[in-house]
Amino acid sequence: MAKLEGSFTVEDMKNVQINIGAVVKEEEEWDQPMGPFPKPQIATLRDWDFKILNRYRIFYAPADDTCTLCTFGPCDLTGNKRGACGIDMAGTCGKIVLVACLMGTCAHTAHGRHLYHWTLDKFGDMKFDMGTDILVTAPLTETIIGIRPKSLKDFGKALEYCEEQITQLLAATHTGQEGSYVDFESKALHAGMIDSLGKEICDMLQIVAYNMPRGDPNAPLVEIGMGTLDQNKAVLIAYGHNLAAGAEAMFYTETNNLWDKVDIGGVCCTAIDLTRIGEGMGEKKVPDMIGTKAKVAGAVGWWRKMVRAGIMDTVMVDEQCVWCDALKDCEERKIPLIATNDKILYGLKDRTNDPVDEIVDDLVNFRVPGVVILDPVKAGEVGVKTAIAVKPKRADIRNRIVLTEDEFKKLVSSCTKCNECAFVCPPHIRISNLMEEAAKGNLEPFSSTYEVCVGCGRCEQVCRQNIPILKMYEYANREYIRNQKFKMRAGRGPIRDTEIRAVGAPIVLGTIPGVIALVGCSNYPNGTKECYDIAKEFVDRGYIVVTTGCMAMDMSLYTDAEGKTIWEQYPGAFDGRNICNVGSCVANAHIHGAAIKVATIFAHRNHRANYDDIADYILSKVGACGIAWGAYSQKAASIATGVNRIGVPVVVQPHSVIYRRAFLGRADLPEDWMVIDARDGSKVRIEPAPEHMLYVAETKEEAMLMMAKLCFRPSDNSIGRMIKLTHYCDISMKYFGKLPDDWPVYVRHASELPLAWKDQMMKELEEKYGWKIDWKAKKIVEGPIRPADVSFDPTNIERKIRVRK
Amino acid sequence: MAVDTTKNPIPFEMAQIPGPEMAKAYPVKVIGAIIKKAKRPLLVVGAELFDDPVMFDKAIEIAKAKNMTIAATAHTIKGFIERGYTTNVYQIGLHPLTNYLRFKDWKGLDGQGHYDVVIFMGIFYKFANAMFSALKHFNRDIKRVSIDRYYHVNADMTFGNLAFDSAGYHEAIDELIAILKK
Ligand code: SF4
Ligand code: SF4
Ligand code: SF4
Repeated sequence: MAKLEGSFTVEDMKNVQINIGAVVKEEEEWDQPMGPFPKPQIATLRDWDFKILNRYRIFYAPADDTCTLCTFGPCDLTGNKRGACGIDMAGTCGKIVLVACLMGTCAHTAHGRHLYHWTLDKFGDMKFDMGTDILVTAPLTETIIGIRPKSLKDFGKALEYCEEQITQLLAATHTGQEGSYVDFESKALHAGMIDSLGKEICDMLQIVAYNMPRGDPNAPLVEIGMGTLDQNKAVLIAYGHNLAAGAEAMFYTETNNLWDKVDIGGVCCTAIDLTRIGEGMGEKKVPDMIGTKAKVAGAVGWWRKMVRAGIMDTVMVDEQCVWCDALKDCEERKIPLIATNDKILYGLKDRTNDPVDEIVDDLVNFRVPGVVILDPVKAGEVGVKTAIAVKPKRADIRNRIVLTEDEFKKLVSSCTKCNECAFVCPPHIRISNLMEEAAKGNLEPFSSTYEVCVGCGRCEQVCRQNIPILKMYEYANREYIRNQKFKMRAGRGPIRDTEIRAVGAPIVLGTIPGVIALVGCSNYPNGTKECYDIAKEFVDRGYIVVTTGCMAMDMSLYTDAEGKTIWEQYPGAFDGRNICNVGSCVANAHIHGAAIKVATIFAHRNHRANYDDIADYILSKVGACGIAWGAYSQKAASIATGVNRIGVPVVVQPHSVIYRRAFLGRADLPEDWMVIDARDGSKVRIEPAPEHMLYVAETKEEAMLMMAKLCFRPSDNSIGRMIKLTHYCDISMKYFGKLPDDWPVYVRHASELPLAWKDQMMKELEEKYGWKIDWKAKKIVEGPIRPADVSFDPTNIERKIRVRK
Repeated sequence: MAVDTTKNPIPFEMAQIPGPEMAKAYPVKVIGAIIKKAKRPLLVVGAELFDDPVMFDKAIEIAKAKNMTIAATAHTIKGFIERGYTTNVYQIGLHPLTNYLRFKDWKGLDGQGHYDVVIFMGIFYKFANAMFSALKHFNRDIKRVSIDRYYHVNADMTFGNLAFDSAGYHEAIDELIAILKK
């Protein structure tokens, strides 16, 4: 065997202690001992998963009755029958859920792997430093792997771990392996946890390498909206989730002073990440504040609308959430496309090694619709040069893309009202009504449904009259598009330790009513406006609102009466009555991170390799609820599942039923709500708090009510519970016209009754529920599930018992 | 001449083709007879009623005619409160409701026992479809009836698509009410 320089061999390892400088140093610098579960394997945290899955019953709504995964099939599994391989319907659903979660997990982790190689290649290894305000620097890496990274290279260990777990998990989905749906779900939770780690790796690498904000509540306001792209310049759009090539296009533009000739905008998360570059306090290897020069064209759901609006001259796609027919969309409009990442190649020729000018020439003269360039630097240069050179050549096409008044009128009158389109439209838009109204000269229905339409293009595919319905939308809304100029807060990155110290106690005791996290895409019906409404409702009520990715983008498109976007209405700290844009989808990891930090910074829990303990703390004490309102991709499944494993419930929009699975509690079964009091090991029945783990809401009103409820935790103190109950009841009164039926379940003491309804509630407790009330002392004498007890220390983990009774 | 509710029985969202067992579209009088015969039916109504508010009144009539509990999903309860109808109507999310329905030990919204027939109306198609699917696979003791304006693939019994024929749909519901009152 070849010996590496500096290596040595010890023949008999017994009784040999090796002290390698770096390891010893790390131990010294991190006062936490290694916890019980460094690098947990599939079954390591199974006990924890089963605690979640026993309380929150796995609920399946199969999307199909058959399985076609192997050559025995198709097998009819209707009514939970078994297939030829022996798996039943529940098992099959579990398997599909696991596969979906793995798709998401792979997307994030592979993105991390790409960034790992790319940032190290480009910048060399860099010190991993989050500045003086953030000392728990990589909370998920620390909690899951048990290491505290010191340089970018250290994330390699975490990546290897993720990749090994993904391989093992995917293997379990092979026919004839796992057959228990509960174990499939435990594996899905494991995948979700890996997903969260993969995201942390991605964002930490790019924050350091590209000098992005490190927890800056005052991150700059950047421009968002289709109207922000200057049509007098060439428009280059970077589209996807991986900023490498888009960033290089910006650097090229900056170095060559081309900003007066080209506008660079982004679609989806690449957009958010481009606007974060150079705004941090770290090493300056990238131009200062260059991020504010990029524009966010819009979220993923806006792609087809944008491409039909004729705004872009050249498109660079990277990875994830890029429509599979982006090349076709572009080709039809003579927009050259550059594929920059090996996950999306579209059948195009790999031109990575060709001279820049040759590639540009081919693209500009439309000899090829697009090219593959896997070197981000070259891709960036080609992108900018192509956009500038092709713009004049596209002038004619740009005009043709947009309908004329005559064409619009003609198309409107060609609709036969067959309603084929409405049968396939996800939000059930009655397109024939829009046409009918437009024929009368009324474009309002086209405007009011513009944001309800998700731009899927299904209607156009089925229309027998070949009516280009999205183009019609474009025509009817052209003024709106031209004026679509808003401000969004650039992604701030992680939450600061100081912020956690300030809000830790109020969150755990309940005086801040909760943390609401709006994450993922909002591109499904009504997602855009409704995510703004939801964010506004909760921020106005004093919750901490955090958001990432397309949700952050879409909620930026609405303003208050004074014309201010949500980012201009509220400050950007992690605090009550604040809203923070944490960053792109991968920055979701910082939301997990914030919850971990509440446990470790505020409550002084050791988090090192101690995942279940931290998750248990969060489930029992940190009143937080996630919402994915319209998320369409499998990444949404892995994100939500990862959030669930760490003890945070998630509410999703009705289209998410296609993911088949939910975790729902049964409030009617007292035995499901038993926890341990860590003080003495006694078993205590708690109120169902939080009642569900993964919940589909039919409307935004239901979502808001449920989110307020899912912020309840058994550890709320009486003032906190009163505040939470007040919001729960108030949202119910506002949108449902009545108090929720289950409010008494959450009352432990008279001081917890919302002041607005206190007397009425006391009476009802006595008359309707038979509670004993001491009216003189205004006290509840008998009735609640358990008394209020501020020192109650709920846990679901035996090893947390301090002294056994 | 009564409305033909068996016409156009194709999935409302066209790709929604689950497998070998698909719902049958029935005339109103058959669906009416099934509901009439039910021992403990449950009428589940959703937020699409706000798009066609007269349906609130019709839901109340259906419930009264058969002395049937209404489960008002999402924020649908508001429509009933506005009409002063508050007895025997419960506010519950469709998701937890379906979760309860699939367990045989559940005691029902009023604590009086489980249900033998669930009747869906006014619920967002995709969500209703998925919840029908959950019951189709995991609690086959409950009969799944849709009286919505869509052909519902995962129901046992459904109308064909009346989504674009509001007058016809209203007429069908009126006919159902008349049968239940008889
Ligand atoms: S994997 Fe099992 S259930 Fe699926 S087709 Fe093959 S034998 Fe049938
Ligand atoms: S593109 Fe818009 S209108 Fe057409 S089917 Fe999709 S959502 Fe409906
Ligand atoms: S499919 Fe085409 S012709 Fe038919 S209603 Fe829709 S837009 Fe009109």
